[in-house]
Amino acid sequence: MTPALLVTVNIHGIGPEAASEDTDPRLLFGRLAHGNYAYRIGLQRLLDTFAALDVRATMFWPSSEAQRAPALFERCLSLGHEIASHGRSFEDHMTLSASEEADVIGEAHETLTRMMGSAPTGFRAPTGTLSSATIGLLEQLGYSYDSSFLDDDAPYSLSEDGGRSMVELPWNEGLSDATHFRRRLTQDRAESFMTEEFDALRSVEPYACLTFHPRADIGVARTARLPIVGRMIERARATGLKPRTCAELAKELAGAGQ
Amino acid sequence: MDGPAVEAGRNQNHLGIHSRGRYAARRGVPRYLDMLARHGIKATFFMCGYDAELYPEIMREVLRQGHEIAAHGYQHESYGLGEREPELLEKTHSILADCTGVAPVGWCSPSGRKSELTLPTLKRLGYFYDASEKDEDLPYLATIGGRRVDDFVILPNNTVSLDDAPLYVQGQATAAEALRNWLEELDAVASGDGYIHFSVHPRAGYGSGTPARAAAVDEFLRSAKSVPGLHFATLRELAEHCLANPSRWQEPRR
Repeated sequence: MTPALLVTVNIHGIGPEAASEDTDPRLLFGRLAHGNYAYRIGLQRLLDTFAALDVRATMFWPSSEAQRAPALFERCLSLGHEIASHGRSFEDHMTLSASEEADVIGEAHETLTRMMGSAPTGFRAPTGTLSSATIGLLEQLGYSYDSSFLDDDAPYSLSEDGGRSMVELPWNEGLSDATHFRRRLTQDRAESFMTEEFDALRSVEPYACLTFHPRADIGVARTARLPIVGRMIERARATGLKPRTCAELAKELAGAGQ
Repeated sequence: MDGPAVEAGRNQNHLGIHSRGRYAARRGVPRYLDMLARHGIKATFFMCGYDAELYPEIMREVLRQGHEIAAHGYQHESYGLGEREPELLEKTHSILADCTGVAPVGWCSPSGRKSELTLPTLKRLGYFYDASEKDEDLPYLATIGGRRVDDFVILPNNTVSLDDAPLYVQGQATAAEALRNWLEELDAVASGDGYIHFSVHPRAGYGSGTPARAAAVDEFLRSAKSVPGLHFATLRELAEHCLANPSRWQEPRR
């Protein structure tokens, strides 16, 4: 495996609150409407940052968010980033029945395919949870990777989890902005955690998965926080990791028979 | 180990965001076996019955490398068990004994809870130490059925200062901060006060399985080795040492 840095973005706008507050998104305001920052400012800032760093990222788009923000979706596509599936409307997949989950994953797949002009090949669970059927459903739809697990420092085959021709590209909580901002750490402390995590991980494996969010509460898209993105990417590059999209890495690993 | 038994006890599957216990099996325990071998230290691994059912080969490898396995609940139960408690203690005991051919002699409560049924049941099963109390920094003889015994010892732990999870979760510490805290504890023991009962969890999430936090433990062990006269022991070895001379441990600070 070529030393790989995955720069991933979980496109969370108003979706999480729309799902958990069980209310019409148009009636979400104030502290329930942090997600609007993503549409107004946050995602564009991340796109500008990636362009300046010459990085192609993997954008995990829930189909419901793509439908809410089609212009931003189009912009991600035209800038050359990979678009992958982040489910439909922030369903908790662990609670879905087999047929419900097939509907949710299927609808998300169809919507993204229609909007992209080609099928997504990767998935990340929108609330982090999977059912025992999820990987099998993705395998049937021809997905080449999942990126929802926390159980390894490097990619592995999903053949024991129902994905015979799929790989897992695990993410890392310490390398996710939301882990730190969700518990309201200052941005300096958040960056201390991220660099501590990255340096140790890098000494173990030639792989790191960074995860960013375009919101201002749990995400890194505020002007004051944004430089963290560039510093982490440059830190990774300096150790010889090459920014890749998830699909590219999955393809390389499939070719190597991993 | 705190493998997927923890998620099972919370009624969660072991996939996606609930795969932190699987990290212990895939990366964490192997990383710690290497670390302990490098340092020449023998440890006590508290194992849940459920994890032994899922990963019997890990259990056998831990013993092969000279470490002790002790009991830690079936699915890392975090609630009071009432009348089910003896049956669950017996279940985990059988699983661990059958899997490795070696019966555990020690136990630590997964939740920190005990009832009046706990010690009598453990004694009946052949255990001779419990590591769940937090009210001393030295061993002391247990009281079972209202009577102080001379064949069962309490080896207190300190899961506030000498544990990883509270520092990382409630404490929001970096690995560097946790290490500093533990080194200060080491200074206190080096100056003659009590013993160090150090507990870490080789899983992701609240534990120290992942590289940055494992490196903090690695450095702590290296520093501990440089304290003059400091001996490492498994809990079983410590319990056997105490019970060879029980009258010394009635009142440890006499």
